[in-house]
Amino acid sequence: MISRFAAAAWGLIVAAALVAGPLALRDRLPDPLAAHWGSGLVPDGEQSFTAFLVVSVVTWGVAWAVLFGVAVNGKAMERRLSRMYWWGSLAGMGVFALGMSGAALLANLDAPTWREAELEGRTVVVVIGAALAAAFLAGHLGRGGPDQRPPAGEEPPRLRLQPGQRSVWVSRITNSWLTAMSVAAAVALAVAGVLAITGVLADLHVGGTVPGLGIVLFAGLLTSSLTARVTRDGLAIGFGPLGWPVRRIRLSKIDKAWSEVRYPSQVGGWGIRGLPGSATIMLRGGECLIIRYRSGGQLAVSIDDAERGAALINAFIAERPAV
Amino acid sequence: MLLTLDLNDARPLHEQVAGAIRRAIGEGSYAPGDRLPPARDLAEALGINPNTVLRALRDLRDEGLLEFRRGRGVSVAGRADGRALLLQRARELLEEATRLGYRREDLITMLEELP
Repeated sequence: MISRFAAAAWGLIVAAALVAGPLALRDRLPDPLAAHWGSGLVPDGEQSFTAFLVVSVVTWGVAWAVLFGVAVNGKAMERRLSRMYWWGSLAGMGVFALGMSGAALLANLDAPTWREAELEGRTVVVVIGAALAAAFLAGHLGRGGPDQRPPAGEEPPRLRLQPGQRSVWVSRITNSWLTAMSVAAAVALAVAGVLAITGVLADLHVGGTVPGLGIVLFAGLLTSSLTARVTRDGLAIGFGPLGWPVRRIRLSKIDKAWSEVRYPSQVGGWGIRGLPGSATIMLRGGECLIIRYRSGGQLAVSIDDAERGAALINAFIAERPAV
Repeated sequence: MLLTLDLNDARPLHEQVAGAIRRAIGEGSYAPGDRLPPARDLAEALGINPNTVLRALRDLRDEGLLEFRRGRGVSVAGRADGRALLLQRARELLEEATRLGYRREDLITMLEELP
């Protein structure tokens, strides 16, 4: 709740400052004023006073609306990591919007025409530094309490193993969006390749998009599908349609396992998220298999049928000879 | 999909695998229309030959439980056949009884005495 009030209040304060600042200094600004600086901080783009005002307010408004929507949705506020992202983004983006507007005004201040509006490198550094500092501070202050452990009284799922039996658990998920994205990237790469070979694209700037497409294709292939396998050796997670590369976690490293519902909005998006020790492999929202390491860290994997997998891991752990 | 094989079971391996998959579907880990993990993954996890798993999958397809679709892998076609599931449980029960020293007739008497 407090996040919504904070977002609304902060949104209004920043918007008011973005309007009030230029209006107060209007007499000392050229019209049109410089609004974009190229390499070497030389002004290379201009805007009328009204356009400058509208663009700066609308840019902030869009960013703010996204964050407000996330707060109203509320799921992101349930987990510590996403709370830190949210508060950090709110404060950091607000300070950045104010700083950019302020830097532009400072450069234009008392300049006879927009071409003489010189931006100082120092100002840019200060603005980015202030935005980052505000983001880290707000993220730290807004982190809230640690994430809740699985509800007290609810035992992690267990399974009874009988002697002379071999039990395994196998599961798999695919994300059709990520698959479609990597197929599109592959097609675009192929088309670009053909056009480049035939010389049609020789004088166009396609060089810049190829590494980007390559990264999309690579990341998409790795995360379009996931296989998970629990055997007596531990948990093996295979990435991509070929199930390779494989991340293996030995049973001796696992303390316990359970299943929980988690969403991309809570862990900062799709793909492999977080830091070692609190990482999430997120392909879709919903049921996740969560492993707690003996060293204290956690790993969450979005996968179907996670509860049975967790039960089998716990059963193997219960059988493990005491170390 | 949780699969359990009994290492002391004398039945052919592919029948046991079919039984394990049938049980997993019967217990509700997979609903009609859901895709099964690839046979290769199942075989690797169980430490058996992929062809054995494929044979089990074909048996279950003939039973009407699974559906093979080109390019889409193997998916669950319908609910597990009640009779096939019961038969399987009955067999397991009989094995357990034998292990504990009861005869087939004892088991039948026990069933008849149930309210």
